[in-house]
Amino acid sequence: MIRVAHVTKYRGRQAVLKDVSFEIPAGASLALIGPGGCGKTLLTKIIGGLVRPDQGEVWVDGQEITRLSEIELTRVRFKIGMLFQNYALFDFMDVGDNIAFPLRQEGKLDEEEIASQVEAILKEVDLPGIERLQVNELSGGMKRRVTFARAVIRRPPILVYDDPTAGLDPVTSSKIFILLDRLQRQGATTSITISHDLVGLRSICTKWAMLVAGEVVFFGTSEEIERSPTKVVRQFWMGESDEV
Amino acid sequence: MTGVGADRSSGSTGSTGEGERADRPSRIADILASVGAPVFYVLSTVGDVFKTFGLAVYYTFRGKKRWDEVINQCYQIGNRSLVFITVVMAFLGMILIFQSGLQVKRITGDFSQMGAVYLPLLIRQFSPIIGALMIATRVGTGIAAEIGSMVVTEQVDALRMNATQPVKYLIVPRFIAGIFMTLVLVVYSTLVSFLAGMLTAHVYFEVPYDTFWDISLVRWADLLIGVTKTLCFGMAIPVVSGQAGLAAFGGSEGVGWATTAAVVNSSLAVIMLDFVVGGVGFMVFPTN
Amino acid sequence: MNGVLHRVGSSILSLSREVGGLAVLLGQITVRLFPPHLDGKETWRSFYKVGVKSTPIVVTTALLTGAIMAVQSSAFIEEWGAYGLLGWGAGFSIMREVGPILIGLMFSGRVGANNTAELGTMKVTEQIDALRTLAIDPISYLIMPRFVAMIVMLVLLTVIGDLFALVGAMIFADLMIDVSPQVFWHSLLEMTYLIDFLVGVIKAGFFGFAIALVSCHYGLKVTGGAVGVGRAVNNCVVASAIGIFFLDYLLTPLIDSAWAALFIRYG
Repeated sequence: MIRVAHVTKYRGRQAVLKDVSFEIPAGASLALIGPGGCGKTLLTKIIGGLVRPDQGEVWVDGQEITRLSEIELTRVRFKIGMLFQNYALFDFMDVGDNIAFPLRQEGKLDEEEIASQVEAILKEVDLPGIERLQVNELSGGMKRRVTFARAVIRRPPILVYDDPTAGLDPVTSSKIFILLDRLQRQGATTSITISHDLVGLRSICTKWAMLVAGEVVFFGTSEEIERSPTKVVRQFWMGESDEV
Repeated sequence: MTGVGADRSSGSTGSTGEGERADRPSRIADILASVGAPVFYVLSTVGDVFKTFGLAVYYTFRGKKRWDEVINQCYQIGNRSLVFITVVMAFLGMILIFQSGLQVKRITGDFSQMGAVYLPLLIRQFSPIIGALMIATRVGTGIAAEIGSMVVTEQVDALRMNATQPVKYLIVPRFIAGIFMTLVLVVYSTLVSFLAGMLTAHVYFEVPYDTFWDISLVRWADLLIGVTKTLCFGMAIPVVSGQAGLAAFGGSEGVGWATTAAVVNSSLAVIMLDFVVGGVGFMVFPTN
Repeated sequence: MNGVLHRVGSSILSLSREVGGLAVLLGQITVRLFPPHLDGKETWRSFYKVGVKSTPIVVTTALLTGAIMAVQSSAFIEEWGAYGLLGWGAGFSIMREVGPILIGLMFSGRVGANNTAELGTMKVTEQIDALRTLAIDPISYLIMPRFVAMIVMLVLLTVIGDLFALVGAMIFADLMIDVSPQVFWHSLLEMTYLIDFLVGVIKAGFFGFAIALVSCHYGLKVTGGAVGVGRAVNNCVVASAIGIFFLDYLLTPLIDSAWAALFIRYG
């Protein structure tokens, strides 16, 4: 479904992603972990076609995307729902228009159907009837759930979540992961989730990839990562550091 | 366009810690790189500006436009700049007339031609350039701040993920509104500084209002040059500032950089265009 | 009607808040002038940064402005046959008004806006609070050096800018209407006075002061993250432009009459 082959990206002279390769089969959910600044977000942006890698290939749903034009990319992007780290809710629109935006840009449905879909998805994320609120009136957890609604409203086959529980309290975080799990079960989606919440990730992910300083140091299943012999992986998994 | 980002790479945020480090380029490659970086920055910015301009023109004539957003932008531009422009242009009119009045007094003492000479100069030169510089200051920074904060909060990425071209969606409405409103505001600026000059001439040099109000020396060429300049400025400001906004990266620092780049780059663009259009105008309409 | 009154009232309130904030900052700076204390290294670095940042744009602006002035006056000069007046006309208007105002505006865009952005970023990322907890006074450590650097540098840049603008005017006078450089300089040196130059330079000092005050004020009171920084920069350049034109209007006659008074007494 998603195949990343030898992707390398430079920022200045420094490589921020070094020869990254892995493959996610359809229907799998990948957890992308690693210390801060290791290139996780950049990798998801490359998969979404937002950033072009300097070397390597990215295949999404059987299509190589690194050499597509911006117009050709739109067809690929329609298959991906992306949830951004900084919410990325449009602050010049209300909640309803934000969620309806992907449908309006797609231009397949009329306004009445769009409104009913927005209403339905807001119910699904436990925020019924807040269409006319402004984005800045929402709390962090509500914003997260609205971004979920916007990412999934088109029912894309691929979902990318960049740190969906950043800055949220533990209770809200677990609610978010329950919601994620529910969305996952509804459709046969392939997903990539970046998070530091290993407990939450364990509840939803079947595959794991770990990046350190732009390199893949681990790729495999949940059982494999628990028994990984590699030191950095084990330390990250157990939350240990060298000093102790 | 002159090295706004060049010193960014050397990390000049505030004054904490940086700079103590002695960067002495030891090898020739480093020296070349330190010369090349600003040059490269200027060239790539100019390239990006032209690319953005091309896209903006393309999408202005092709595809659906968000007309309600264009109207909204017109309102925003007008609302933001009206008071500001009035104040600045009134002072400009008073300064120009006061200064030239003193010279006239010293040399000929004949104030009768003052308004007649002042008006074409105002139409052809002062009002477009100062008006446009003020619009670059007020509106250009606003555009860059808005678009820049959308970039750093990933809203622009969200637009692109939903099959929306940032240039088409964000810049084109500002481009159309910018051209129209710059024209309106420059006409208004001319009026304000002419009236302010008229008042100053009356108060300080006792020039009667109807003597000052003399449009006999205004040629069609002056109007044509003035309007051409204004249209060029109106196109340049939203494109240059919008590009500065789209080029933002990082957090709040990135937005600060984008706004700074917007005001500097669009002011430089205005001055360069003024030079080009003024020069061409002089070639085409030498003297009557 | 109520709405209009409300809006007028709130604009007046916010205007007074800004003016009050500027006055408070000015007060804080004045207090720290007695005894004068400047962090030498920080000041030197500010000089370097301000100067290096703005020299290219000042030179570009000045050259083009001089050229524009020559092009613009060409028509008049040819019409009246007043070739000998071009040097004076260009020199007089560049040194007195056009130079200081345009260079001041570019400086406010480059240095003032940048200063607001920097201070604003430090404010929203709590670096200024961090300085305070380290018992370092942000005003003397951050603001004073920038203040001094901006005033001194704008004066110096105006001198440089005047020179380049005159060179630009000279080149284009030669190209467009065949006024030779000798005629140009002769007319310039014969007919302009020292005071024409001084008026511009003194005003530049005041513009630098205004830009420093305004940009530090807006930088220090940023709130609300990235959006807030953008808004602060916007407000800073707008207020600087108003300050420049207002001071220009106010100062020119003042300096002229002060000079005249000086001459009557001692000259």
